[in-house]
Amino acid sequence: MFCSIKSPAQRRFVRVCWMSGGLVAVLAVAAAAAFRLWHLKGLPAYPVAVLPALPILWVLFETGRYLAVEKDEFQRNLLVQCMLGGIGGTLATTTAWGYLEAFAHVPHLQTIWIYPIFWLFVGLSMPVVYRRYR
Amino acid sequence: MKNRLKVLRAERDWSQADLAQRLEVSRQSVNAIETGKFDPSLPLAFKLARLFGLRIEEIFLDEEQQG
Repeated sequence: MFCSIKSPAQRRFVRVCWMSGGLVAVLAVAAAAAFRLWHLKGLPAYPVAVLPALPILWVLFETGRYLAVEKDEFQRNLLVQCMLGGIGGTLATTTAWGYLEAFAHVPHLQTIWIYPIFWLFVGLSMPVVYRRYR
Repeated sequence: MKNRLKVLRAERDWSQADLAQRLEVSRQSVNAIETGKFDPSLPLAFKLARLFGLRIEEIFLDEEQQG
């Protein structure tokens, strides 16, 4: 799929993913700086705190858009299978970690890690899915 | 699903990339369909049939009917 990008839809999707990754980093640093400088509290703190999540919402929207506009059904199928792997891996990991937190008192996993964990499992699913069609 | 794509392609001296270009899909898609690992949707199957000037059942083999 994305090892040899062919369609304009794929090119756009990959570009958006890279851009959003960069934006998350920039906005996270900016939000941290804003909280440090201005000691934001109450209502003004909410929009600033949620800023780094906006590029993530953008990628989720673009993922749906890619699946809608990609003409190559096989490529769509590959991404959907990888995302199913991502969903399964995320659910399994976070559920297991939840029980570990409850009973074994391991450190708390902040929910902001769920999104990177999801894409980590999407990435891990790719070689498995691609091997099937080699 | 078994199919005759490889033979039909060879008869026309088309590579997988040539067929992919005509179908507006990736070469990996053609390979996956040709090897029977991915079943195309009806619209893509009709597109293939139109391209080769055949009926769908002349390209894709109904394994249940064949026993």
